[in-house]
Amino acid sequence: MGEKEEDKIIIAEIGAAKTKAILIKAKEGSFILEAEAEAPTTVEPPELDVTKGINTVVRRLEKESGETLWGDKGPKVKLFCSSGDTGGLYMVVAGIISMISKESAERAALGAGAHLLDAFSKDDKRPAYTLVEAMRSTRPDIFLLAGGTDGGAVSQVLELATIIAKSDIKPRFGEGYKLPVIFAGNVEARKEVSETLSEDKYATTTVPNVRPDIDRENLGPAKEAIYDSYMEHVIVHAPGYDKLAHMVKGQIIPSQAAIGKALYSYAQNRGINLLAVDVGSSTTDVYSVYNGVFNRSLNADVGLTYGILNVFKTAGVDAVSRWLPYELNEREVRNIAANLMVLEPEKLTPEEEEVRNAVAREAIKLSVELHKRIASRLKGIVIRREIADTFSQNIEETYVDMAKTQAIIARGRAFEGPEETSALILLDALEPVGITQIMYDLESLVPHAGLLLDYDKDAAIKLLSERILKPAGTFVCPRGKTDSEGALTIRLKRSAGSLVSEVVPSGEIKAISLGVEETAELEAIPSGRLDLGRGRGKTVKSIVTGGSLGLVIDARGRPLPPPKRDQQQKWLLALAAAKGGA
Amino acid sequence: MGRVTQTIIRKKRVLPAAGEVFVKKGEQVSPTTIVAKGKVRNPYIQGIRIDLKLGVDAASVKPYLLKKVGDEMKKDEVIALRRSFFGRTKICRAPIDGSVEAFLPLSGQILIRGAPIPIEVNAHIPGKVVEVIPEEGAVVEAKAKSVEGVFGIGGETHGKIMLTVERPDEALMEAAIEEEHRDKIVVGGSTVTLEALRRAREVGAKAVIVGGVDEKDLTTFLGYELGFGITGSEALGMTLILTEGFGPSPMNEEIFDLLRSFQGKLACVDGTTQIRARMLRPEIIIPLS
Repeated sequence: MGEKEEDKIIIAEIGAAKTKAILIKAKEGSFILEAEAEAPTTVEPPELDVTKGINTVVRRLEKESGETLWGDKGPKVKLFCSSGDTGGLYMVVAGIISMISKESAERAALGAGAHLLDAFSKDDKRPAYTLVEAMRSTRPDIFLLAGGTDGGAVSQVLELATIIAKSDIKPRFGEGYKLPVIFAGNVEARKEVSETLSEDKYATTTVPNVRPDIDRENLGPAKEAIYDSYMEHVIVHAPGYDKLAHMVKGQIIPSQAAIGKALYSYAQNRGINLLAVDVGSSTTDVYSVYNGVFNRSLNADVGLTYGILNVFKTAGVDAVSRWLPYELNEREVRNIAANLMVLEPEKLTPEEEEVRNAVAREAIKLSVELHKRIASRLKGIVIRREIADTFSQNIEETYVDMAKTQAIIARGRAFEGPEETSALILLDALEPVGITQIMYDLESLVPHAGLLLDYDKDAAIKLLSERILKPAGTFVCPRGKTDSEGALTIRLKRSAGSLVSEVVPSGEIKAISLGVEETAELEAIPSGRLDLGRGRGKTVKSIVTGGSLGLVIDARGRPLPPPKRDQQQKWLLALAAAKGGA
Repeated sequence: MGRVTQTIIRKKRVLPAAGEVFVKKGEQVSPTTIVAKGKVRNPYIQGIRIDLKLGVDAASVKPYLLKKVGDEMKKDEVIALRRSFFGRTKICRAPIDGSVEAFLPLSGQILIRGAPIPIEVNAHIPGKVVEVIPEEGAVVEAKAKSVEGVFGIGGETHGKIMLTVERPDEALMEAAIEEEHRDKIVVGGSTVTLEALRRAREVGAKAVIVGGVDEKDLTTFLGYELGFGITGSEALGMTLILTEGFGPSPMNEEIFDLLRSFQGKLACVDGTTQIRARMLRPEIIIPLS
């Protein structure tokens, strides 16, 4: 029986510099990844037509797979697309109270993959008269206005709408079209808000409230409205996207939204909590799923090239330098970092790599701190604290809890080096506690899986689990410190039947061979003062899976002691000791 | 790293807002020739609580206003007035020259935008006007050698090239800068020290061109951390252009030889850099005629 065109799907992610596409084919009731290819993105001059890059990348997929995929009028098979930096989504949000409606609006915008240019509120610390100019200077793609619970405040929402109206905010792609404003606030203010935002300046749509009650958040409709506006008003203004819109199946969504969808579904499918970091050139994204709640934050200030000096500016030179394996004076460190920014070298010298890795740790730390504010319980709710809550984390402000994080996923240039280096960056920056799996998106294919989700969820999850996410291994990390020998006793029973028993001294890292597709029964017995997330000295039993580094016990303690320069190499060797089943 | 090209340069010299153009097609211009003048919107906005000045509710302010949105005003001009029943009059005066930007009835406030700011754009390079853009400016053409740097600070300026070192791997030290460097484009070698940068500014040099500079020295010189690589608007009174990058790095010999061969000649330089947004790098233009 011949293959049908319906059996083949092309999924493309249009990045700032590269367009990366994969071809997947139906096989035995599911989809398999048949080929992948890259081509330069063609949004900038001289091409100024994104479809040229799409055409090139599809031709390369044809060559790779031997299939005919491109016809006279474009792709002959289904094409799904997401767009990164070039066609990225730039938004401004506003709400009445910064910690309530503004924060919900921020979560909706960030969750939809937006780059947040600014956020305004009635309790903004900036003087009211500066807001008009601040709003005018933003030039976003979409404005999301929230405020007021349903049946609550109207006049303050209207005052914000008046400021938006007076500001005459122009959209990023010029004055030829109206700026889309999505109102996701008090349902009773819809009519007046729409009237206040004049039709000749703004394309206003109303959607259900992001904060219908003080104790309930409803981000879905706002996110959908953002996707609609992005497709209808924004992306078509980037060169060639109008043509591309006719070639694709469904919507073109921001790549960050596709990543978020993939990670959320993956966590839900496995029933786990997950934290993901994406350390890019100019920004650092953090995604999390805790107890089924998805959040994304974007630290637009820190990255590994364009945003590198902002890491120094925010964290300080000493904070970065402490992670270097050897002494470099401040001038050398600053010069190396500044050159990473201005020269953006393709190939790094060993010193540049070390500085980049040190910066990556601080960029992750800064970005996760920011994420904790976004991934937080709803503010404005009165919580009665009982005596029993005094030492409990049940009413912690943020959902992010490393002891309850079953998986860490990392992507971005910081993780392109050896697996042990990437793992050490994550262990140092995130300090996971308990039993945590670490995985990498080395080929940058998570957005592709996110695009496949709506078409075939099972296939997308399978693609993520079996092909895209490369497991470094399972990491066992006790919290607390102990001076006693034998900090952690490990008993590992492999699925093949062999038994391993190890005593890992306090302050050490130890790797035990456990292959990528191997599982084992783990029994971890911490000494009295250590805690694997279940309480001090409590034994933890779990089924664990392996990875390129195997099963790793990081008994350096939590919080981590200050790094020592001569230990970096020791940790890397320890992490790589069982690499590839050694 | 920096690179040299010889080319016909066409510089579009336009105002950010509509204005008056002062040059004609075919006219020869110098770097200081005013191409166009205009006014731009003043970014400064000041809010005044009229309700507090007049002693009324925010919602009752409107009838007392003497100005409506768009109206111009001079500093101290009366913009709102309330006569009370007992003859006592309360007034509100304009705090600045400007115009009414907006009236916010819910908070009893008016927003006043400062008066437009006059601006002008010059030709930056000597050459011939090959195109006039009505109300905006003109395109100036010149045959020139052009050097693209790696990073710069400070905006457009021009002056005569003056070398301070013999070799491209020589550092520019404070002692090498003297009064004769006033208004000059000072060329160093591998790096420039913080003291030399300060001295160059002190004597009134227009620009310093070197291979590199320590990022820490530049931070100290600027008085703040660089952050993102977007520069050009620094008010330092001097432009700095790096041809190689940060840290001591011998200047590319081709660039050094070019600058040496044009010693005493005019160079028009611009330190404006945008690493990401538009990949704008600093430039040195040496006109050939």
